[in-house]
Amino acid sequence: MNNTIPGSSKINRWVLVPLILGIVLTAVFGFRAVRSFAQVQLTSLKPGTTDVEAIRGWMTIPYISKMYCVPANYLYKQLNVPFAGNDQKSLAALNQEYFLGQPGAILPKIKDAIRSSKPACQNGTISP
Amino acid sequence: MSSITDYLLTGLITYGAPLFGVALMLGALGIPIPTSLLVIAAGAFSRQGMLSLLPAIGLGLLGTVMGDSLSFAMGRWGGNWVSRRFGGSSVWNSAQTTFNRNSRMAVFFTRFLLTAIALPVNLMAGSSCQFRRFFVTVIAGETIWILVYGGLGYLFGSQWELISKFLSDFGGLALGLAMLGGSIYYFMRKRKEMPVVL
Repeated sequence: MNNTIPGSSKINRWVLVPLILGIVLTAVFGFRAVRSFAQVQLTSLKPGTTDVEAIRGWMTIPYISKMYCVPANYLYKQLNVPFAGNDQKSLAALNQEYFLGQPGAILPKIKDAIRSSKPACQNGTISP
Repeated sequence: MSSITDYLLTGLITYGAPLFGVALMLGALGIPIPTSLLVIAAGAFSRQGMLSLLPAIGLGLLGTVMGDSLSFAMGRWGGNWVSRRFGGSSVWNSAQTTFNRNSRMAVFFTRFLLTAIALPVNLMAGSSCQFRRFFVTVIAGETIWILVYGGLGYLFGSQWELISKFLSDFGGLALGLAMLGGSIYYFMRKRKEMPVVL
């Protein structure tokens, strides 16, 4: 007695790959989504708040100046980096150029500079 | 974050909306650019006053719709070759028929939910759908994408990286669930269709 479904191996081949991939993706991204959602919940999200730990290598000095209400000239001075020609460069590029590419050398300096400064914002604009 | 993402974020705060539009267009053409992250970041940068909101929305929408239309055109031109190559295959024909039945839904939802498969959907749409219907659906889907993702970035401001991570994971989960649901549905349908010989 033959109790197989004709063509079932063909079905299996076409269904099994996306099925397994679907299970793997659901498990991996389900876990990650729950974890990142919990992270969002734990970090009390206050729009507009800034933390120096959020400074990243892609940021430019003018951007950091605006975000943290610290005059750009002050930041350039603290880093010993000239203003001219550097306003469009990221921290990573400045690190490469002025700190001999030592990984992350610029980050502690800029964080210290922000911590030791007084916020200069008044109604969203930086006072000179 | 990868270096390409870093370059794009630096570019976004330096060059603003024009770079945003170009990046979204390249992303829609299949170049691996983290476009959803850029949209969320653009929302946050608008809130922080680094990016003008309306030009960013306008140029972003223009760029992504242009990219989608170009990939549709690639599907239209490449479609003839694909049909010659795979047209005899029953699996290909069945996939094409299923796609044609649900093409508008597929195009719409892959703009903002299952974004990882947006390019294959554009290519398939190019080989079988009317451009006008595709274009209208794309505008609707991309508008939702830019407004919802950008809106979340705007809403959460400096915490946009966390939101981006969550949405990226959620997108992966949605793709996994879609594959799982699709394969279970396909299996059940085929089982019903096939005569059981005992």
